[in-house]
Amino acid sequence: MKVSSSIRRITTISKKELVEFARDWRTIFALLIIPLLMFPLLFIIFPLLLASEAAELDAIEVNVVIQSNDFPSDLAEQLNGSGIELNYEPLVMESNLSSPLEDGDRLRNGSIDAVLRMKENGSVWDYALLYMSTSERSQEARTRALTVLFDWEENETERRLVDAGLDPDETLRPLKWDGEISNSDVATSGEQAGMVLSLFIPLVLSVWTFSSAIQPSIDMTAGERERGTLEALLGLPCSRNELLFGKWLAVATITGIGVLLQLVGLLFAIGYLATTDFLTVPTLSVGSIVFIGIAVLLFAIMVVAFELALAMRAHSVKEAGSILGPALLLILFPALFTQVINLDGIETFWFSIPVVNVLLALRELLMDRFVVEHIVTWIVSSGVYAMAAALYAARQFKREDIVTSLS
Amino acid sequence: MGVELLRVEGVTKSFGHIEALADVSLSINEGEIVGLVGSNGAGKTTLLRLLAGVYTPTDGKVVLSDGSKVEDARHRLGVVPESTGLYSRLTAWENIRYHSRLYGTPDEESWNRTLFFADRLDIKESLGRHTKGFSRGMRQKTALLRALAHAPDILLLDEPTAGLDVTSARTVRSLVQQLGETGGTVVYSTHQLAEAEAVCSRIIIIHNGEVRADGTPSGLLEQTSTANLEEAYVSLTTDKARTRVVTDKPLSKLAKWWQKLSTPKTPGGDESE
Repeated sequence: MKVSSSIRRITTISKKELVEFARDWRTIFALLIIPLLMFPLLFIIFPLLLASEAAELDAIEVNVVIQSNDFPSDLAEQLNGSGIELNYEPLVMESNLSSPLEDGDRLRNGSIDAVLRMKENGSVWDYALLYMSTSERSQEARTRALTVLFDWEENETERRLVDAGLDPDETLRPLKWDGEISNSDVATSGEQAGMVLSLFIPLVLSVWTFSSAIQPSIDMTAGERERGTLEALLGLPCSRNELLFGKWLAVATITGIGVLLQLVGLLFAIGYLATTDFLTVPTLSVGSIVFIGIAVLLFAIMVVAFELALAMRAHSVKEAGSILGPALLLILFPALFTQVINLDGIETFWFSIPVVNVLLALRELLMDRFVVEHIVTWIVSSGVYAMAAALYAARQFKREDIVTSLS
Repeated sequence: MGVELLRVEGVTKSFGHIEALADVSLSINEGEIVGLVGSNGAGKTTLLRLLAGVYTPTDGKVVLSDGSKVEDARHRLGVVPESTGLYSRLTAWENIRYHSRLYGTPDEESWNRTLFFADRLDIKESLGRHTKGFSRGMRQKTALLRALAHAPDILLLDEPTAGLDVTSARTVRSLVQQLGETGGTVVYSTHQLAEAEAVCSRIIIIHNGEVRADGTPSGLLEQTSTANLEEAYVSLTTDKARTRVVTDKPLSKLAKWWQKLSTPKTPGGDESE
């Protein structure tokens, strides 16, 4: 009876928090709509935008000045056919062709996109290609010119080898791959996709879980304190622990829905990318999915309790924001660090370090790897950390000074 | 005198080294409207929070007549803090229902009681409105309804008329008087003597954390041999009133150092605390 009353009070607190949350459309947009749209925008719209920009760049004709006294006619022909408008000038220097001299000004003011200097030096051609790396047109001119130059060099090399009575193929490529290179990787495309995703899904999940819990955590603790609603609540026949659990449940629900919507957006984006052969759908067993769920849940318990505790220590929304904002680094740094840890032969102790343990677990699970020792270690350690965070939060909620507000 | 409902036994409440209340003993009896009168910082709010079970005494105890600790019997209390504590994105009724549900009162029961009192407070039409934009008076009335909806044995009101316009203050006082006439028990904190005299059947004067007097208005006059309550109050509180009691956790050394460094001296040369 007592337990059921307690559960009833916890759900009442939680429901009220969710109703209040749902009535603020700006918060709904920030915490639910944005995560849903983030990955589709990043993986679908952004590449489309990039492709359109690249197509626009392809369509332009760049202006390259050739400075040479004996420029090869076949090379000029090839350059002409690559979207490059050529202008010829005599080469006035004998050495150090890379020195820009007065051509630097012309490149800077955009009157030309690149300068190709070329001089025959016995059986070798000396050359330099001047450009400006901060100009997209100049970069494009350089890329196009270099592509043609390297083709021309290859043809010239082969011609010289033939003239010398050698087989260019045997001379230039004495080591040859036999068969299809793609067949040599025993990892399936699904496993490869899992590996690619394991490099950023844990990062995104952890950072989003933490950051999306910041606003509701502050609102439900320091916000209540600042608005003076907490005192009335503390006089009610519900314990501080019930209050904490009710608020925790509400923040965890909001964060959980946000993360879930983010994953839906991600899966949609992956599904789209799979149709373009850019990425295939990762192979995940049911076990992996279940353990991923457990990992995220334990992480959320810990993070939300920790954030509620920190926010409850603050006297105002402003103060809570200035504590929780930088606290994001506690997640971000381990998350970035975890991306570079080699999972092959990794020592078990890594799976007991806070935050790192869950992120490594997610990486392993996304690659469909089951190492019992690792799983037991991260579940036990995460459980302990979640419990510690909950106890810390409970301690903060039991402080008497939380009843006072800044006024 | 009615049956004793609540008893405060030798209660001391300290925040750090500051004693907000010192060895306070009193009892609240059924049917009484008790006025807690004192200047700002006297300890009225601290005492009310102790009565509401929000604070735990540093020494002594607050118990109900059956011996149970007040924090275990909060369902018998109705509390209106000075800040009212309404959620602006909820309607007035949703605010009331939220607290009633946490008291374990069925919605229908609390709705009927809310309608009954809302009629008297002339706020019935606003029960379905979001409290954002409510005037101070409307907020106070809603908070009162919220505290009454679960039929508490004792109503604790912290400066319920502070900041209210004349009409709203009159309505609130009138409701409290009606509650007293129908056998309700109310503890009413105020720093206005005239209000306490008009509403309360018993007045407790608190000064610098101590109970200086406790009795009926006429009893206080008799005790102090004065002609009116104002004179009685002045004669009981001759020592200088403290300005405030810091109930927050003390600042850390680093925070104190930074506060001092970032606060300019006042023209008179005094440094702010």
